[in-house]
Amino acid sequence: MTETATYKSPSALRIYLGQLAQNPMGLMGLILVLIVVGTAIFAPWLAPYDPNQIMLGPRMGSPSAAHWLGTDHLGRDLLSRVIAGGRIAMLVAVATLGAAMTIGLALGLIAGYGPKWLDNILLLVFDAIRSFPVIVFGLAVVTLIGPSLYTVILVVAITSIPIYARIVRTQTQTLRSAEFILAEKAMGASTFRILGLHVLPNVLGPLLILASMDVPMVIATEAGLSFLGMGVRPPAPSWGTILNDGYNFIRNSPWPVIAGSVPIILVTLGFTFLGEALRDIFDPKLRRNL
Amino acid sequence: MKDEVHTITLGRRGFLQGAAAAGLAAGTMPLANALYAQSGSVLRAFSYADIDKLDPGFYQNGYNVDVMNCIYSKLARYKPGREWEIELEAAEELEQIDDTNIRFKLKPGIMFSGGYGEMTAEDVKFSFERVLEHDSPVKGDWGPLQSVELDPDDKYAGTIVLEKPFQPLWTITIPYGVGHIVSKKAVMEATEDGSDFGMEPPAFSGPYILEEWKPNQYVKMVRNPDYSGDLKPGYDEIRIIPMDDEKVAERAYEAGDLDYTAISLSSLENYKARPPKNTVIEEYPSLYYVWVGMNVENETLKDENLRKAIQYAINVPQIMDAAYFGAAEPSTGLIAPGLIGHREKSLVPPEGDLDKAREYLEKAGGAPSQPLTIDTLNATTWKTIAEVIQAQLGQIGIQVQVNVQDSGSFWTLGMESEGDRWKKMQLVINRFSMMPDPFYATTWFTTEQVGVWNWERFSNPEFDKLHEAALSESDKDKRGDMYRQMQDMMEESGAYRFLTHEGSPVMFRDDLEPALRPDARPLYLGFKPA
Repeated sequence: MTETATYKSPSALRIYLGQLAQNPMGLMGLILVLIVVGTAIFAPWLAPYDPNQIMLGPRMGSPSAAHWLGTDHLGRDLLSRVIAGGRIAMLVAVATLGAAMTIGLALGLIAGYGPKWLDNILLLVFDAIRSFPVIVFGLAVVTLIGPSLYTVILVVAITSIPIYARIVRTQTQTLRSAEFILAEKAMGASTFRILGLHVLPNVLGPLLILASMDVPMVIATEAGLSFLGMGVRPPAPSWGTILNDGYNFIRNSPWPVIAGSVPIILVTLGFTFLGEALRDIFDPKLRRNL
Repeated sequence: MKDEVHTITLGRRGFLQGAAAAGLAAGTMPLANALYAQSGSVLRAFSYADIDKLDPGFYQNGYNVDVMNCIYSKLARYKPGREWEIELEAAEELEQIDDTNIRFKLKPGIMFSGGYGEMTAEDVKFSFERVLEHDSPVKGDWGPLQSVELDPDDKYAGTIVLEKPFQPLWTITIPYGVGHIVSKKAVMEATEDGSDFGMEPPAFSGPYILEEWKPNQYVKMVRNPDYSGDLKPGYDEIRIIPMDDEKVAERAYEAGDLDYTAISLSSLENYKARPPKNTVIEEYPSLYYVWVGMNVENETLKDENLRKAIQYAINVPQIMDAAYFGAAEPSTGLIAPGLIGHREKSLVPPEGDLDKAREYLEKAGGAPSQPLTIDTLNATTWKTIAEVIQAQLGQIGIQVQVNVQDSGSFWTLGMESEGDRWKKMQLVINRFSMMPDPFYATTWFTTEQVGVWNWERFSNPEFDKLHEAALSESDKDKRGDMYRQMQDMMEESGAYRFLTHEGSPVMFRDDLEPALRPDARPLYLGFKPA
């Protein structure tokens, strides 16, 4: 009896992870992202103190064994606030990008596959929204409905929708004249079937890469609005709020500024490296290892 | 005389050397300096708020008056220094003949800009009487003014006639907002009926004119070419830059964008230990009063027991420690120490009393089911106060949500004229400035001011009566008792928790000599290069 050698091809995930492991920047990005996401998820267990607990004794304290990142002007533990701030940042990122991607995807598909007049109207709306600088638009909305975490999510989601919608629209327009779509049409497939089963899977990849690269932008916008006092309500520990409080007391202690800015820098680097690595892996034009 | 024309020959090397020198110079000085240095002597000063009214008869706040001091004239003005004194400005003579008659005589030759001619007693009469005639929101500053009688033999002279004695006349009315004189002809042309001309002064008579106002950016005043008075202001241009947060102003000063600024009490010790280069730091007492107000007409806060529970749950020394780094003292009411009517003690002890707070809360049927809101201006000190109060009320089970507002939104919060937001307003952290007469503190809390500046909507007929009576009371002790009684009434209503009078530290470049009131408010006309 002869033995037959069986060859099991590795899964796509293993291939992608292998490629990511060969990209040092991408790997670093992945590690940073995992740290930030993990910290956000397990924040209540990781934070050594209640992030909002006022302790008037050790105010503006330097890092110590009791307070690893020091304390702010109300004696609150900065490490706990930074950890809790990560949760807010991740919540804003997930909620905003989730909403922006879902709505952008739907509108992009409609614009790209629908009639020309509808495409023109949607493009006009996208361009009108994009013409507002995000922060200025944010300030206007906050003035009207008041500052809160939900306001920040609303502002960033609204201003992000056109970015995703435009990309989906372009991809859809390219695909609608592709032979396999024409064949589906000829076989009498419905519009929903074509969009759902054939167009959607083809546009989702680039969209996810774009979303991962937009995470720092969303977090920076939230931090920016909170820095201006227009983001989350006190005493919620957004990184922008920590930065703002620290900036106001910088002559007393530099630690709050450091504590507020380092996570923003790390999260920006992490998601940017990871996003670029994913783009290299998934975008055939940029793939280097083929 | 012939205009001389100088021609300069500039070679390539010379051009490069010049450009390098200019670049070096520009690079080593802050941007604002590089820009302003071209235009002669410029004073750049900080202000807590932007201007919103330039009609002196209808002024809204002290920041408006800071500008009015420069562009209009008044009979007498505050003298810079540590004591409250006044000195003559447009008046040559100013004399109290009896309790209700004040005779004045203008200096001849004070001209209004725009060809509106010389200032006469007719303009004084018009300026003062229009405040009452057009029901100005600050008509209280003119109290019992009956009329201004003109001297038939002297176009510069007249008599201010009061219906009854008015104690704040010399400390507030004449040297402050409504004491400014406008041109009758110019105002009548601009408004037809002599009413409020808002933000567009039809004529100037002070040493400066308003050249430009960019809302929330700056107020720019330059020398008045038509000015013929005897004042010699030290700067060609004054730029007043509004910033809600003095912490931001501190950064701007350190960056070289301001020459004069107030500084926060929480920064004071640091600045005294390590002052910025070429800087003088001075400390002044403050007449500000900061308090937590409660809207008595709000559905939730209608219950007096709930308001009292809040009063007793607030620990003021803790707030002083957290927000002012212990550099401010708790206050006992509206009126600062040293002024008539100052209370030695508040009814609710500064530290509060958590047991009493819980008792009142029980009487109120427990904590509200929904979080209360506390509105505050978007400034570090105020936000800190709000966060501490949030934590303190949390101790008795009252949840509080902090609403941070920008100045435009905050300063109209309780005004009925600006919509229905006052109905939802619950707790508010507020700060008003004061003048050296107690009338200026209590005047904002009368029934007439409900929905204007009385955001707590506190209304007490006895308080109103006392306020009226105290205006004419000449016996200082009796008058002081009246104001103490009024502050008791405010506190007993449960609508107020008085916090502090703060303090007024300022810093400025050592190449300028500021002119400040005893409470450190700037009198820009007196600022001079040292």
